[in-house]
Amino acid sequence: MTHITEETLEYLAKLSRMDLADGEKKKLAGDLEEILNHFEELNEVDTTNVEPMTGGTAQRNVFREDDANTRSEINGSSKDIIDAFPAHERGYLKVPAVFGGEEE
Amino acid sequence: MTQELMLFLKDLTIKKIHEGLKNKEFTAFELTKEFFDYIETRDKEVQAYLSLDKVGALAAAEAVDIAIAKGEDIGPLAGVPMAIKDNLLVKGLPATAGSKMLENYTAAYDATVIKKLKEAGAIVIGKANMDEFAMGSSTENSAFKITKNPHDLERVPGGSSGGSAAAVAAHMAVAALGTDTGGSIRQPASLCGVVGLKPTYGAVSRSGAIAMASSLDQIGPLTKTVEDAAIVFNAIKDKDPLDATSVDMEYGDDLLHPKLENVKKLRIGLPKEYFVEGMDEYTRAEVNKAIEKVKSLGIEVKDISLPNMKHALSCYYIIMPAEVSSNMARFDGIRYGRLDELQQDEPKSLLGIYHKQRGQGFGKEVRRRIMLGTYVLSSGYYDAYYAKAQKVRKLIKDDFDKAFEEVDVILTPVSPTTAFKIGEKTSDPMQMYLSDIFTLTLNLAGLPGVSIPVRQYEGTGQMPVGFQLIGKAFREADILGIGQFYERL
Repeated sequence: MTHITEETLEYLAKLSRMDLADGEKKKLAGDLEEILNHFEELNEVDTTNVEPMTGGTAQRNVFREDDANTRSEINGSSKDIIDAFPAHERGYLKVPAVFGGEEE
Repeated sequence: MTQELMLFLKDLTIKKIHEGLKNKEFTAFELTKEFFDYIETRDKEVQAYLSLDKVGALAAAEAVDIAIAKGEDIGPLAGVPMAIKDNLLVKGLPATAGSKMLENYTAAYDATVIKKLKEAGAIVIGKANMDEFAMGSSTENSAFKITKNPHDLERVPGGSSGGSAAAVAAHMAVAALGTDTGGSIRQPASLCGVVGLKPTYGAVSRSGAIAMASSLDQIGPLTKTVEDAAIVFNAIKDKDPLDATSVDMEYGDDLLHPKLENVKKLRIGLPKEYFVEGMDEYTRAEVNKAIEKVKSLGIEVKDISLPNMKHALSCYYIIMPAEVSSNMARFDGIRYGRLDELQQDEPKSLLGIYHKQRGQGFGKEVRRRIMLGTYVLSSGYYDAYYAKAQKVRKLIKDDFDKAFEEVDVILTPVSPTTAFKIGEKTSDPMQMYLSDIFTLTLNLAGLPGVSIPVRQYEGTGQMPVGFQLIGKAFREADILGIGQFYERL
C-alpha cells in the first residue's frame, strides 16, 4: 500500500511549482493513495522483454526542410503574443528578477 | 416562433444546409442569424457556450453568400454553423480551455483545423464549454459554468467535450469540434445522442490545440449523422508541417461514399472483456440492439478477446497524468495573460509568482493530475509506474493488432452508463475515471473510434446510448462506412 505523507505532498508541490492550500492536502493525499493503490494490479502483468511504447505514433525521425519561417506565419503576429504578456517593454517580457529575489 | 425555429434547426444537417444554400432556400446570413436567435434563449438553460462570435460569424456567412451569388462552387462545409471546443485556437477569440489560468487569453492564431474549416467556408459560432484543460468526463470541471444535458437538464452532457456535444444535440450548432484524449469526444456524444469521431492518432494536426496528453490527444468532429462526421473529418485531416506526428495518408473515395457491397464484407469482433461487469442493464440491452441491427446489414459478427484490456485504466491513468504534468508546466501565470499586470502584492521572486499563480489558477482535478503525474515521473518511482505503463501500453496495442488479423472492426459500448446526475460523481475521482473505461484503450493504441447513437432520441425519458466502432489505423472509412449504412436502417 502506498502512503502519501505530508512531506511527499510538499515535495510534489515543489516539483510542480504549485502552492497547495492547507485545507485540500488531506483529501488530495487520500485521492492519490486510492489511485496509486489501484495501479498495483499492474504488478501481475508480465512485461519481460516487452519494448515500451513511447508515443502515439509508429513514425520515427521526422525531418523537415531547414527553411526560415517567420513567426507570424506560424503563430500569429509577435505583437498579439507580446500583448498577452502582463508587462512588456520594447517587445520584451517584463518579470521580476530571476536571481536575487526572495528565497523560495 | 421559437418552437417553429427549433423544428427547422433540429432537422438540419451539413448535407441539408449544402442543398438549401445551393437551391437558394435560405442564405448563409439568414441561417446564421437564426442560430444566434435560437441560442439566445436555449443556451440560457443548456449553457453549452463559453463565448459567441456573432459579428465574425455573420461576416463569414456573408462571404459565403457572395460566393454563391457570384456563381462560385461552394464546398460541403460552406455556411455550416459550428461550435468549437474552447481548447482550440480561433484567432481573435478567447481560448480559456475552461480554466481560470487562461481567463484573459485571446488566441493569436488559428489552429490548423480552424484554418481548414475557415477555408472550407464553415462558420464559427462560438467556443464550447469543457472540463478544465479537457480533464474530466462530465464538463463539471469547467471553471466557468456547468453545461446541462439538453435531453434532461439535471444530468451531465458527459465530457470533456460536453459543450460541443450539447450544442449539437440542442441544435445550437450543426456540427462541432472536440478533442479526445481518453474518450472526450465519444463519451459526451454517447450521453447526448450525437455522433462523435476520434480519428487515428496522426490523422489530424494538433497544432493550435491546447495540449493535454500529447501522445493521446486527437481533434475530431461531433455531428448529427455519421455522414456529416465523415464530411468534417475529410476537411480537417491532413499532414501538417506544424505537427510532426501528423501523417500523410491517402484516403479513398470510400470515406465519403461507402459502398454497401464492400461494407458487407467487413468482419466485426465483439471483445468479451467489454461485455462483462460494470455496465448497466439498459445500456447493455441497447448495445445488444445495435449488434442485431449491424448483423441485419449482412455483416459477420464474431467473438474475440483482448486480454490486456483490464489493465488499460491503470496504464492510462499513469501515462496521461505524466504527460499532463509536463504540458501544464507552460502555464506560469505570466504568459497567456492570467495576471493583468504584475501587482504590488505579488511575490517578489519569479518562482514565488509561479507557485502562487499555479496554485490559484488551476482547478482541483488539474492539480490532482499534475501531482499524480509528477509522482509517477519522479526519481525512484519512474520505473515502477511510468516505464511499466509504457510496456503495458505496448501489450494493449499488440492485442488490437492481433485481433485485427481476424476482424476489420471492433464493436463495443461507449460508456458503462447513460448520462448521470450533476454532482453524482464529483467527489470520487475513481468513479469518474471509470466513465472512460471503454474508450481510453483506443487512445493508448492510437486507433480511430466512432460513437454512434443506437437509435434516434425519442424524448421518452430514457437517456441516449451510443455504441462504439473501432477501426484499424487510418481506416476511418470502415467504421464510418458501417455507421452510414446503420443510420439509414
